[in-house]
Amino acid sequence: METKDFICPHCAKGFKSPEEMKAHMLADHRGGALPSPEGRIRLTINGKAHAPDVKPNWTLYHLVHDHLGLTGAKQFCDRGACGSCTVIMDGKPVLSCMILAIECDGKTVETVEGIAAAGHPLINAYVKHHAMQCGYCTPGFVTTSKALLDDNPRPTANEVKIALSGNLCRCGTYPQHTIAVLEVSQKLTAS
Amino acid sequence: MKNFEHFNARSIDEAATLLVRYGGNAAFIAGGTDLLGKMKDRILPAYPEALINIKTIPGLDAIEETDDGLSIGALATLAQIATHPVIREKYTALAQAAGRTASPQLRNMGTIAGNLCQDIRCWYYRATQNRFSCLRKGGGRCYALKGDNRYHSIFGGSVKGGCIAVHPSDTAPALIALDGTVITSKRTVKASDFFKVSVNRTTVLEPDEIVTTIHLPAPAPGTQSAFMKFALRQSIDFPIVNCAAAITCEREAVTRARICLNAVSVVPRRTVAAEQSMVGSNIDENTADAAGAAAVANAEPLEGNAYMVPIARTLVKRTILVCGPSPAEVDPV
Amino acid sequence: MGSLSDKEKQTMREMQDNLRADPFPLNTYTHIGKRGPRRLDGHLKASGKADYTMDVQLPGMLHLRFLNSPFPHAEITHMDTTEAERLDGVRYILRYDHPDLPSRASLGKVTGIYGDPPPLSRFAHFEGEPMGAAVAAETEDIAEEAIRLIKVEWAERPFNLDIMAAKDKNAPLSYPEMYPDSNYWNNGLFDVLIQGDVKKGFAAAEQVVEFAFVRRGHTWIGPERPCGVFRWKGDCPELWVKQQRPHLVKKNLCTWYGGVPMNKIQLHCLYQGASFGGWVQVPWNMGPLYCAGLVARETGRPVKYAFSRREDFYGQSMDDGIYRFKVGFNDDGTILAVEGTSTCANQIWPVFNPVNHLRENTRIPHLKGKIETVWVNKGPAVPTRCEQLPATLSLTMVFSRVAAECGLDPVAVALKNDGVEGHDMVHVSAEKKKLGFPDIDSLAVCVEKGKTAMDWDAKWHPPGAKQLPNGRMHGMGFTWTNEWDDSLGSSEIAIRIERNDGTATILSMGCDNGVDAENTYCQIAADELGLNLEDVHYNPQVDPGFFRMSPDSSTNLSVNGWAVRHAARILKQRILEAAVRPTAETQRGSFRAAFPDCAPEDLDILGSVIFKKSDPSESITLADFVREAGQSGPVTSTENAGFRWAFTEPLFAFSYHVQVGSYNPENPRPHLTRQAHFLEVEVDTETGEIFIIKAVNVNDVGKAINPMSCEGQQYGGTVMGWSRGKFEEMIYDPATGVMLNGNLIDYKIATTLDVDAPIDTILVESGMGYGPYGSVGIGEDVGTVMTGLIGPAVHNAIGVWIDDHPITPDKVLKALGKI
Repeated sequence: METKDFICPHCAKGFKSPEEMKAHMLADHRGGALPSPEGRIRLTINGKAHAPDVKPNWTLYHLVHDHLGLTGAKQFCDRGACGSCTVIMDGKPVLSCMILAIECDGKTVETVEGIAAAGHPLINAYVKHHAMQCGYCTPGFVTTSKALLDDNPRPTANEVKIALSGNLCRCGTYPQHTIAVLEVSQKLTAS
Repeated sequence: MKNFEHFNARSIDEAATLLVRYGGNAAFIAGGTDLLGKMKDRILPAYPEALINIKTIPGLDAIEETDDGLSIGALATLAQIATHPVIREKYTALAQAAGRTASPQLRNMGTIAGNLCQDIRCWYYRATQNRFSCLRKGGGRCYALKGDNRYHSIFGGSVKGGCIAVHPSDTAPALIALDGTVITSKRTVKASDFFKVSVNRTTVLEPDEIVTTIHLPAPAPGTQSAFMKFALRQSIDFPIVNCAAAITCEREAVTRARICLNAVSVVPRRTVAAEQSMVGSNIDENTADAAGAAAVANAEPLEGNAYMVPIARTLVKRTILVCGPSPAEVDPV
Repeated sequence: MGSLSDKEKQTMREMQDNLRADPFPLNTYTHIGKRGPRRLDGHLKASGKADYTMDVQLPGMLHLRFLNSPFPHAEITHMDTTEAERLDGVRYILRYDHPDLPSRASLGKVTGIYGDPPPLSRFAHFEGEPMGAAVAAETEDIAEEAIRLIKVEWAERPFNLDIMAAKDKNAPLSYPEMYPDSNYWNNGLFDVLIQGDVKKGFAAAEQVVEFAFVRRGHTWIGPERPCGVFRWKGDCPELWVKQQRPHLVKKNLCTWYGGVPMNKIQLHCLYQGASFGGWVQVPWNMGPLYCAGLVARETGRPVKYAFSRREDFYGQSMDDGIYRFKVGFNDDGTILAVEGTSTCANQIWPVFNPVNHLRENTRIPHLKGKIETVWVNKGPAVPTRCEQLPATLSLTMVFSRVAAECGLDPVAVALKNDGVEGHDMVHVSAEKKKLGFPDIDSLAVCVEKGKTAMDWDAKWHPPGAKQLPNGRMHGMGFTWTNEWDDSLGSSEIAIRIERNDGTATILSMGCDNGVDAENTYCQIAADELGLNLEDVHYNPQVDPGFFRMSPDSSTNLSVNGWAVRHAARILKQRILEAAVRPTAETQRGSFRAAFPDCAPEDLDILGSVIFKKSDPSESITLADFVREAGQSGPVTSTENAGFRWAFTEPLFAFSYHVQVGSYNPENPRPHLTRQAHFLEVEVDTETGEIFIIKAVNVNDVGKAINPMSCEGQQYGGTVMGWSRGKFEEMIYDPATGVMLNGNLIDYKIATTLDVDAPIDTILVESGMGYGPYGSVGIGEDVGTVMTGLIGPAVHNAIGVWIDDHPITPDKVLKALGKI
């Protein structure tokens, strides 16, 4: 039986010699260079380039919260059912607890810290209207609202509620979020 | 989560090869919203040694109108589908179904193929740490049959006649009502034939088979379609019952009807009796109600889920009415 | 400094007389009662910068996870941890047989009322119980994986889930280690409550009805998992805890590990992802913390423990049970006698008798109530916003039934029976006068405002009488009770004036659950001291020992508000006395002689400026007054460098308060303020779905010190109450005792689309509360009362009672005869 000691790092196909493997890599993998070291990803977070080494089982939440210290994304349900860990990825609100960090190569991520640092008026509106109590779920709401306003600068009240319907608040602050988001929408679109 | 190997597949062949290389003890990951939950809860007897990311396969997320209908890439997200202008206009049931699935964030992550291929939600099957070795895992019995079955099948079981877990997809009934086709890496299957229950399986897919495209035929003139969902919550919830219908009328009389219920049976349930009862009739409260009654005529509810029968009946009725000439009179569920 | 003079002690005694109306209200309010003061915690929370215990990471920190029992009742007969120990990254495995694990008697001083299970017991009394072993590893994932590798041999025991079956004397014991005699336990504070003679009442009544209902157990869902971090600095423990009562951690900890002096314990209590009472306040939380401390000692590394989301589901509300009532009343809605029994699961603190609220705020002469606690193999039942759930649900059901039986508007029935402890409103008026309160008919005011907001008179109709054009049935629900957050408790508060800028810092225990309480204290201090609100800040900490009531304690504002006020008044007096001294020398420095010719009473402070009352133009800012006298605080050896060494006495005061509340059975106070709630629903009779159309909350809070915070408790409580009344219950597999829905997908809490209705929030300010300025708290009330209101509203819609809460679609369809 033939042994195939040379495994393509792209697709794991086995080859008898390094020459054969190299030929295969050039032909089948568009002549690309060797892949990055296992687990090295490059992504932009809050406007800054990052190149962390991640393990396959790290979620995006794990990366930003535990390793990058962006603790605004909060773990509440850890099963994609509450919205507290929401971040914006390539313009869309997504749940960082259910995304593998290793699959975020090339992505652009925005967290509540970035939204706050940019002085987004949502922050003040949330404070003004008490759109928070214990505050644990609040960053998830702010992040989801920011994505909504980027996508739809003049949402109706109903559109705000639908956009926020994936975020749970146990303190029951829901009525205030619509008020805050609509006020910011008016402010941003008036100027 | 326990660690695992991870690969970004660049082609379908590559993905399939990798899967085979792990002797089947690997899984494809696309949106990941179902798979990662299963891994975190350790609900399956075998934890995957490797995940093979198929999101990196190019060209699988396009939505295109074709000469004979619509082609939807397997990786198209539910949000893409729910907001797509052509789907909203011509394949309304599918846009509505995708728009009622899960939550806004999950719709940005989850794919159409993932929604079709998702695993069952039975709380015995999903109990953490593989607490119940049930029929669906190759075990000896169905725990729901004599347990709490408030969200289980009202149309009997599968797998040795025992497993009564329902199929939880919102988009599946819409695809069946719209007479869709599922194209995989190996074959083409009618959406209505795509779902088949066996141990560890909810579809006809073989382990190394990947859905690539969903195809929907162009609706005949005079066709309206609609989707309705009954769940305890308006968001972040699986259906207790859902229903999709596509009804074609000529001069107000129904010439063709495809109606599909889901979450009431082990696979999406096309309600042929309800369809037949509509053909030749006008759509009105009486005919729609009769169709609803026909749809649940053979229901065999269990101790905890008899309430699903009137809900299913009502959803069939209301979905048909929405497809009718004056849908404004009906309140959406 | 800091101790009280005789005069101050006298003032304290006068101020602490809280059995009557506030004798010293302010004439004018600058910050109190104003809308719009921004939340102290607002920017931190909205921008993701607020720190929670779950976010704490320390260098070298290990993660601790627990073994969970797969069985509802079992004991470990053998355990092999060899394989788990071999897993990479595992650093320590603590087993039930570790010699330093205490028996129950030594774990802290809080025994009895909450039960006292030992940490890491060998015995499991509910499925999922954290017990038997704990693994510390480099990551939570590794710890979890190692738990799976522990081989356990179990001896399963028979178990109970059903309370009526468990009550039977032949039933197997549910908790033999703790309750070896019987599953039936009757040891509550108010387990039996008797007023008058119910037999007489029933004999005199024109009608007598009997009914029963069931409430399924539900839980709090604190968004942050219960957790804590423990590290040793030498023999000094340093802890971060998610704990609503951080002082209890110290109180317990000082008895652990052979005894730890209180003054060596350093405790941090950060922001908390709420828990509404719940798990975090009971010894089930102390046990894991004990284990974390033990593992931290054994490994020499910091240890964080965190329950899994599922583990947090195993505690439950105190209303899980069966309620049976017999009510005697006349045709005009006058209630003469109520006899009620609640048989509830695992009420480890069964304080609230089913007729408790009927005693507190009605004139019903004859009452008899009994609590029966039955041990079943589910998690402990503890206060879940709040322990009065059974009592308010009972009041709601009794009044709604009587109104329906009489064919009367439930608002009229409430007004007809309003009173206090069997006495009518004439008596209550006399009491109010005697206690110095204004004589306002609180319920009448509340219902008037609420009826107007709801358009009640136009919308209310007899049960089952109104079908809407959309086919749904229309229903109106009403309930009411007293405001109860004024109960017994104690509080210690200190305030200091900072030397360099004259700002004021309130020092007391940190414990933030989101009710914005700290802002309220700042408002009180600002008004009392005459400072601008932005010059007052609350600095939360635990170690200096100023313990206050925390938000879970059913008494927060009324006790802490008093203590803040006392401290602020003493401090203001001290500031003014310093201001009139020729020089206020203490050690080597002095305040400037600001008003040497005046007496303290000639001066006042407003807007952070000290001024002469007779001529406000003679003034000095507080900042200027203190600045010169101590610009940099304590410094060393500056004299030799030619600088003036300024060091004055600290402008500092502390005070305390002991509240004698209605929870104190020996010295109850009549409840004078009321709340009234109105709910409009629609019921889809084909699907059983219930839609909320509108809610109106009216709360007589006496005095709204922080109105936006009060409103937050109103709409927030309505959202939570709606969720609990419509969806929430823990579901167990009857055959195995395994919880089936211990996650946030299968256990439903309302999303924003599920409460898509206007919620009108109305505050009434009668001044009849026992808190400062006549205030009374609101935090627990609305969420608790609204939970029970869906039942009456649905009854009004469909004309049939559904005696099984939560009211889910299957029950509606069954009541309608559709299945």
